[in-house]
Amino acid sequence: MVNGWQPDFEQLVDEHQSMVFSLALRMTGDRGLAEEIAQDVFLALDKDLSRMESPAHACFWLRRVAISRSTDAMRRRRVRAIDQWVELDEIHGAQAEERDSPLAVRVERLLATLPEAMRAALVLRYQEDLSPEEIAASLGAPLATVKSNLQRGLKLLRAKAAVHLKEYVRGV
Amino acid sequence: MDDFELELSEAMQRRPAPPSLKRRILERRRQQRAQRQSRMVWFERIAASLLLGAVAGGAVMGHYANERRKGEEAKQQVFTALRITGHALDQVNTQLEEHDRNKQ
Repeated sequence: MVNGWQPDFEQLVDEHQSMVFSLALRMTGDRGLAEEIAQDVFLALDKDLSRMESPAHACFWLRRVAISRSTDAMRRRRVRAIDQWVELDEIHGAQAEERDSPLAVRVERLLATLPEAMRAALVLRYQEDLSPEEIAASLGAPLATVKSNLQRGLKLLRAKAAVHLKEYVRGV
Repeated sequence: MDDFELELSEAMQRRPAPPSLKRRILERRRQQRAQRQSRMVWFERIAASLLLGAVAGGAVMGHYANERRKGEEAKQQVFTALRITGHALDQVNTQLEEHDRNKQ
């Protein structure tokens, strides 16, 4: 611990549970799985708590581990995100639609259809408001790769939105 | 940022975590710590048993080594005694032969 900062586990959970859960949710598209991942991430933090040097370090660590655990979980499941969303609609869809804006739900659905690397870059960019440099550091990826994933992901998402959200706009 | 990106940022605000998430994390943490502690107790028991076994084994081996060393020493003493006796007998034999030669 540097600068005399003493990490308080419960406080870190309070501060970052929304971030970790949202990252996992947007990466996996599965609420139940996202909750499990969030729990695992915080339990991993508990093990490494003594190595946290500052609040910023803890936040960076949580982001990085949340993304990598989500990616691992997705690979383990080997289920296409779009299929999960169909399933999710039946289980959580109604609840989610009640709480969240329909546009947000639609955007998340479209996001879930993107390849993992693009999705991770976009989630960190637009949910966490990180710069490409910060995203590269969080993902442990080269900056050029991150920039390319951001551009290609955004282009793909824009194209999908042009088709799917037009429908939504017409429906409103 | 263009309009689409702004909409994206707005749509991708952090979702609130489920209200029970923190409770479940703390519960699992408590369970893990209890498991870790119980595992540590078992490791300590196993380590203590291994240490005791090693000490006992060492003591037994030491005892046997000591016994073997004593046996070796006794054997060497017997050999030395036999050599001395053999030497003495040779001398007696030489004297007797000399005595016989003088008689003739």
